[in-house]
This record gives sequence, structure tokens and C-alpha cells, in this order.
Amino acid sequence: MTHAIPRGRVWKFGDDVCGDDGIIEFAIVAAGFGKEFDEDALRAMCFRSLRPEFPDQVRQGDIVVGGRNFAHHNHVEVSVAIRASGIAVVVVESCDAGFLRRALNNGLPVMVCPGIAAAVADGAVISADPATGIVTLPSGQVLHARPFSERMVQIWQAGGTIPLLEREFAARRAAGQSQGGTA
Amino acid sequence: MPIPARSIAQKIIARAAGRDTVEVGEYVTVTPDYVACQELFWPGHKRNLDRIGVDRIPRPDKALMVIDHSTSGAMGSHHHATHRSLRDWCAAQGIENLFGPGNGLRHLVLTERGFARPGTLVFSDEGNIASIGVLGALNLPISTEVIVAIIQDANWIAVPPSARITLTGALGFGVTARDSIQAILRDSTADGRLLQCCVEFDGPGLAALTLDDRQTLLASLFHSGAYTGIMEPDALALDYVRERDQGRPWDVVRADPGAEYMTRLSYDLSAIAPMVTVPPDAHGGVPVDQVAGQRIDQASIGSCAGGRLDDLRAAARVLRGRKVAPHVTLYVTPGSRNVYVEAAREGLLEILAEAGAAVLAPGCTTCWGYQGVLNDNEVSISTQQFNYQGRNGSRSARVFLAGPYAVAAAAVAGQIVDPRPMLAEAAP
Repeated sequence: MTHAIPRGRVWKFGDDVCGDDGIIEFAIVAAGFGKEFDEDALRAMCFRSLRPEFPDQVRQGDIVVGGRNFAHHNHVEVSVAIRASGIAVVVVESCDAGFLRRALNNGLPVMVCPGIAAAVADGAVISADPATGIVTLPSGQVLHARPFSERMVQIWQAGGTIPLLEREFAARRAAGQSQGGTA
Repeated sequence: MPIPARSIAQKIIARAAGRDTVEVGEYVTVTPDYVACQELFWPGHKRNLDRIGVDRIPRPDKALMVIDHSTSGAMGSHHHATHRSLRDWCAAQGIENLFGPGNGLRHLVLTERGFARPGTLVFSDEGNIASIGVLGALNLPISTEVIVAIIQDANWIAVPPSARITLTGALGFGVTARDSIQAILRDSTADGRLLQCCVEFDGPGLAALTLDDRQTLLASLFHSGAYTGIMEPDALALDYVRERDQGRPWDVVRADPGAEYMTRLSYDLSAIAPMVTVPPDAHGGVPVDQVAGQRIDQASIGSCAGGRLDDLRAAARVLRGRKVAPHVTLYVTPGSRNVYVEAAREGLLEILAEAGAAVLAPGCTTCWGYQGVLNDNEVSISTQQFNYQGRNGSRSARVFLAGPYAVAAAAVAGQIVDPRPMLAEAAP
């Protein structure tokens, strides 16, 4: 499968950025748990407590670079807010496994790439390919993140786990097969 | 080729993947023994099931659906509709293990009812369900993807690296397991040394802890960025399992000698003093003396980190014959119906209620802000899990975290205090 490699302008954040109280605002989000994601509201609050200009100035295809333990304590709305803001990929020094997973599940690839925080300045243009793990800096220097598995690439390219399953189940129904199957 | 030495997580994951061994970092597809799911995000799960077009799930016997976040269909909320929808879907799918309001936390439902057993692999929606590791069961948290595991009876994971924390010594007077995990989080969060790991606890200090205390350690571990946690079950744990397994199979899984650990730490429990974690960081633990005198408006005892029988016993030890300060609201939430019943039988609920506590229905309650919402600038001390700004209402409210002795003592004093003098004066 071929895919476009994300290339975009970097929004750089520091170490220990809290997801629920930093990237989003928990008290507002918690009231809507279970309801459809209010993507407009999530976009409007995304990163505003850290970078007030972010919601207005972020552009489709921009890249977020985070420091250590990025987005700790994150509900799924954190990932949805970043994705809905148009961010193509998040590249972090480190994060917990839950963030990586919640983000991918919602169509947002997160790459763990040690060295990225020191190597990149805010506003720089970089490319980052989740499939190969290769991050290319403005200087041409290359850093390596852990590549996604084939399944993770499929999920990313489908825009999330649910859209992928939707397609796979439809294909099975069309082929007259029963439900169930592989993950 | 001989199989290399493996951690507990590697062994359990390998079995669930139908393999002899799996490598750390490898992506594998595993079949769970159970999938544990709470109700709060059910409306979203239901929309996704309908969107995908799921008619029948393959293994309704593996699904554990627990209503623990919204413990009532309260006025002004949409939760009553969620409860109805979940009940109807479970009935249609033949899911028998639906636990409605009042049954308590998934964590305790899993252990108390014989689902979590040595060697079982559980996909769940939260990292704090690592508490089931007390019985040698492995929690793999996958957030809202739990529904994917229910749909497919499988899901992918990256095999986590393992870490080991060895405990020696015994907790001193007035010190709790919560104080110990606060110390571990203080030391192990900033540098990411436990990040994405399965943390195995061992050592003579662990053997001296009650099963409730061990679950407190495991439940709070995820604040360090650890993925999950587990313990090799000892005789105490295995007796607990045998009383509840209802004939279901299990197999004790031990780490191989020579298994590789990303991090090894050791803690002398006797060197730990009462601690309080200062907001907004979950790793902001300091000795209680440093924040003594801080006036509080609310105190709460409960959550997957502090709502078990030993926690209620500890609270009652402080509160027996005392009164909650007039300006303080104290909420106490038993972690499960079983804890509630046992606390009633032991007379703990009477002590807590007479002291002035509001005893809430088993569930998450104050920990996610469902109850006990804080106003601007109010201060709470709690055994709950979270202390970041806005978790319990106002962003300017502050939540200090502590063990049950310190929370109960603060409720009485109306301010944060070292609980040991009050405990020393308590009737035996």
C-alpha cells in the first residue's frame, strides 16, 4: 500500500504536557462523555491554554512535536481535538502507550522519536513517515522512530479503527462471509 | 532453538497469541480471556457497532459490561438512557455479565467474582485496572478500542517491555500502600523509567502487604506512564482465587530467571512516611508535614486506588468517635457492593456515617467529578486517582491526593494534618 508522507510546519511543545488539562479542558469535555464528539468545540480549545494562537493559526497538515511524557493523562478527546485541528502527525520524545493507541484509533498517527525535541525548532518544516519511522529534518538529517506495523498503517490510512472495520465488514458482507475475523 | 528467558507479560501474551514466545516490541494479535468495558462511552460504542454493522459478537461470554462511572440515572444527565441502551444490547447479544449500578468498579468485579485469575489476559478500557495483577492476571488497557476486542475476540498489541520493583520491609505505623505508590510515582515519572512497561512487583515487602494494599500499588502505577502491572500470586492470592474461581481454569505464570527488565528499582517500605501528592501532578508527592495546615473544603475516600475494605477500615480507625469538621464535606465510596456489604457487617458504615460522612453508592463517583464537584478555589483531599486542574469541576480548585488515614484525619481537622497523632489516640 502506498501513502503520502506527512510533511508540514512544526508546532513545538515541551515536556510533561498534560492531555486532559493542557491539550483539552477536562471539565468541559467530561460533561459530554458518551455524546458525539463536538469537534468544533474540541478544535476551539485545542492547546489554547499553552499556545492561545494555536486554534486560529494551525493549518491542515501541520505537525505537532512534543517532549517527554507528552499528553500524559489523556482521554480520547485529546486525540480527536488534535486530529480535528488538522494535524497530520504527532512526533514525540516519549509518551505512554495509551496515547499512541487512542490517537491511532482515531486516525492520528503518533511517532515516538527520541532526539526529536532537541533537533527541531518551532515553525520548522519536517517530514515524518509512520510506516517507516523515518523523520527528516530541515537539514536533511534523519531520525528514526519505531515503524508502525502493517495493521497500524492500515488503521492510519483508513482514518481510524472504526472506518477500517466498517470497510472490512462491508467487504465480508458483500462476499457473503460471516462476521468475526482478525484484528 | 531454546526459548529465551521471558517476563510474566511475555508469557501471558505469547499464550494468548498462540505462540511459544513473543519479543518485546513485537506487534502481535492476541485473543483475550475477558474484555472489561464501562458504560460512560457506551453511546459511542453503540454508534460504532451500528456503523460497522455488527449483528452478533463472537464471544458474549467474554464481555464484562460494568456500569460504574454513572452510578445513578441522575436528573439532568443522559446516563439513564445509556443504562437502558446497554442493558438492551447485552440482552440481545446474550451477554450475561452485565453489572448494573451499585455493583461497583470493574476492577473489583473482576477480582471478587472470579474473572481475574492467574494467567488470564484482560483487554480493558483503563490502565488502573492493572489492579487485577494482584492475582497474576494481565490487564491490557486499550481505551475505547475495547469495543474492537468485543467485536473481533482479538486485537493487536505491541509487547511491552517489563520493569521490576522489589519491596522490602514493612509499612510503619500510620503509613499506607498509597504512601508507597506516591513515593514510587514521585521518583519514577519525570525520567520515564517505567514508560510503556509492564511493572512486576516482588520481594518480601510485597508478601507483607494485604491484597487490598497490593491493588492500591497496581491501580496507581499508570500515572508513571507504565502500561500495566502484575505480581506473581502467593498463597494468600491463590487462596483468594480458589474461593472465587467457580471452577474456571487458571495457571500461575512466573517470570523466568534471567528475564530482561528495562528498569529495576527497590523500595524499603519501612522508610516511607505519610505523603500527600500536591496538585496538579500525579507525581507531586511530598511528606505530609510540607502541606500540613492547608485548609480543606472536601475530603473523599474511594476509587480504584482507595475504595477497598482496608481503606474503609483505615478511615473508620481515624473517624471512630470523632466528627468531620463543620466546614468539610466527606464522601466515602465503597469500591464494590461486596465492599459495601462487608463494611456494613463490620460496623464501618455506622462509624463513618456517625462521624458525618456521606456514603455514596459503589462506583467511581468523586474520582471523575460525577459527584463532589468543586467550586472555584475550593480544596479537596482524596484517595482518588487524579489531581490535575479541572478534573473535579473548577480549574482553580485544588485536589491533594493521599492515603485513607491522611484523608480521614484531614476531614476531622478541617485541614491537612499528619494522621499519626490522631491514630495513636484512636481506640484499638
